[in-house]
Amino acid sequence: MTEVVDELRRDYVCNLIRSGKRMDGRDFLEYREISVERGFAKKAEGSARVKIGGTQVLVGVKMEVGEPFPDTPDEGIIITNAELVPLASPEFEPGPPDENSVELARVVDRGIRGSNAIDLRSLCIEEGSKVWIIFIDIHVLDDDGNLLDASALGAIAALLDTKIPYERHGFAPCEVNPKTERLSVKMRPVAVTMADVEGNILVDPNLFEESAANAKITITTNEDGSISCIQKSGVGMLEWEKVDELIEIAEEKGKEIRNAFLK
Amino acid sequence: MEMYKIVVPGDFLSRDVKRAGEGTYVEDGCVYAHLYGILDEKDEIKVVALSGKYVPRRGDVVIGRIVDFSFPYWVVDIASPYKALLHVAEVAEEGERIEMSRMHEYLDIDDLIVAKVKSVDASMRVELALMKEFRVRRGDRLIEISHTKIPRIIGRHGSMIKMLKERSGCFIFIAKNGRIWIKGREDAVDVVSEAILMIANEAHTSGLTDRVARMLDTFRFQRRIFRKQGAGVKERTEKREVGGYGSVGSDVRESESKSESESECESESKSERVGEGGEIGLGERRIFDE
Amino acid sequence: MKKKGVQLIKDGRRIDGRAFDELRPIRIEVGVLKRADGSCYFELGENKVIAAVYGPRELHPRHIQDAKRAIIQYRYNMAPFSVDERKRPGPDRRSIEISKVSREALEPVIMTEFYPRTTIDVFVEVLQSDAGTRTAGINAASVALADAGIPMRDLVTSVAVGKVDGEIVLDLNAYEDNYGEADMPIAMIVRKNKITMMQMDGKMTKDEIKKALKLAKKACEKIYQLQREALIAKYSEEIEGEEQSDEQSAQWLKV
Repeated sequence: MTEVVDELRRDYVCNLIRSGKRMDGRDFLEYREISVERGFAKKAEGSARVKIGGTQVLVGVKMEVGEPFPDTPDEGIIITNAELVPLASPEFEPGPPDENSVELARVVDRGIRGSNAIDLRSLCIEEGSKVWIIFIDIHVLDDDGNLLDASALGAIAALLDTKIPYERHGFAPCEVNPKTERLSVKMRPVAVTMADVEGNILVDPNLFEESAANAKITITTNEDGSISCIQKSGVGMLEWEKVDELIEIAEEKGKEIRNAFLK
Repeated sequence: MEMYKIVVPGDFLSRDVKRAGEGTYVEDGCVYAHLYGILDEKDEIKVVALSGKYVPRRGDVVIGRIVDFSFPYWVVDIASPYKALLHVAEVAEEGERIEMSRMHEYLDIDDLIVAKVKSVDASMRVELALMKEFRVRRGDRLIEISHTKIPRIIGRHGSMIKMLKERSGCFIFIAKNGRIWIKGREDAVDVVSEAILMIANEAHTSGLTDRVARMLDTFRFQRRIFRKQGAGVKERTEKREVGGYGSVGSDVRESESKSESESECESESKSERVGEGGEIGLGERRIFDE
Repeated sequence: MKKKGVQLIKDGRRIDGRAFDELRPIRIEVGVLKRADGSCYFELGENKVIAAVYGPRELHPRHIQDAKRAIIQYRYNMAPFSVDERKRPGPDRRSIEISKVSREALEPVIMTEFYPRTTIDVFVEVLQSDAGTRTAGINAASVALADAGIPMRDLVTSVAVGKVDGEIVLDLNAYEDNYGEADMPIAMIVRKNKITMMQMDGKMTKDEIKKALKLAKKACEKIYQLQREALIAKYSEEIEGEEQSDEQSAQWLKV
């Protein structure tokens, strides 16, 4: 049953694309409507609810105090996790993380880590024994395609929203310098996912477009012109010659999103 | 001495797309290999696989092993990623009906059958037709090799299999799915088994026919000495040991005709003539033929 | 984390003496396992991986079968003793991701329509690790798939490029991977100029990526030749009727 539907989807999407259209009327390089709501989850140190079209992701940041890794005694730790909870899609099943949720978490993580958005040294409380551990938890609520961009945007927005929980961890209020109350975020990486459908590049593929695509590629760019993550995903091939164009599109769209939602 | 050209998947073979055959694919007006194997450009451009699983095709003669019951079918293992089905009607006599509870009385788990592939559909559902004239019994020898080596066991114009049969006096039945059924004196069966495994391992080399011939010669030589030593008594003993299989030595011709009538190597073979020493109904099956 | 103050490049040479565009020595052996349908042992510098292919074979449970084609399952696994600090047995998140992208790197070339309802299982075991194991795994898996007689449009070739002390370099070793600025493993179909795997971890500019990709392509062309030669050598040496020693049957190359 699913198979027949997939074939039909693929044909439908491909036919439209061949005549230069997308099923929701977007341009090939256009995102669906995006909204970013910071501070949604009040118990989290920082949070953001991101919607891209019908896709909805909630990212919460929690901070704990713990021991640093032995080889980096003066650095804090970032741990990123993603849950594709069953309510988000008929395809998601309860259980341990599958390869898709593992990949999602790791790609978001690399985009942030590679950009040095957080200076891990600033998270050091006591060298060798106490550092801040930042948990970035991605909770996917509705899957209508392109979970990655929504999750990555949610992650950086949540970090920008994060207040370091001094009180909860035993630091007296007078010790807190209001200037350092918010987590210091130095870079704003934005992930842009593009799908290749019969040689056409589509930005922000929705669910149907994802299943019709040969392959997807996610490129995370920063405001200083650097790229902090690339991930080709899906069973398919990319043209060698297209890589330049893909990077350019990612930079342009990344800038748009950064200016609109990550001020 | 021929040097075979080995190709790997993706190798460019030719621009003559009309001649593209098995083991190749066509893209942008070029013929490429999609298998790791030996290139054969004699008629069609083909790549003969050196490895890979047996995929059943209609008309193939196979040796199968019963592995399960799924009324009204037996489920048969045919040394393939696909299991095959044998309908009870294939086994039942005229007018007879085999009930589910009595299937095992006809064919039970682990029984071996000789069958022809009756049909294969698009989702690889395989049905067999039983070849009732062949009954594989417990105690018979069954060897399993890669199906890709079967053409080499048969040899050019059936020369290899002919040599194996003549010089060992064994009954040898070669199935398309890589299974080989052998009957005969135990020592002869051993030699044949060894020879077949050697052929399978060295299928791609030259001078193989000679090496096999030498192996069989040694066997005959040993047997001749053995017989000479205790001439009278030994000969009588030999005859008794032989039973229903076909004997070696003095009864060679008898066993040969038996082998010839019972053996069938290729499903496509049109001439299934019996005895008379000449053609053994093998069909023209050199290593590169189709 | 990428450390500062560690000098990875000195006098135009890397810490192991290689030039920026130099591959580590590669050794490939085909058909090294008896039970597997196809197999390949692959060394890349101090990396030692072994890939095995089983299939096509029956797939259970039925509901994950694809009625029209074979499914591909790829499992990348590291032996506990393969790294400095013992790695606990079992899949961790890194292995799960590597398995996924590796499968996606190979699946595009496999002609799965030949074998409906079956599975083709690829297992890659890392016996010794010095960065670049996923690329070694993909190279080995490609060869093992051919060895198993699986129909494929092409071989897939893989290598990593990256940035170390500001320089674009080829085939990073563990030290360079840990302390360098970026690591970019890629896989491609050399003949057709198509990319089937691409990941970048770290920070690079667009021009650096361009330069790195060119370097990767050249290296893949070399590795592809070695893959081909190893497959051909498996039968060629025996066609002459002689057994060659283990050393000779392997393909040594210092680029």
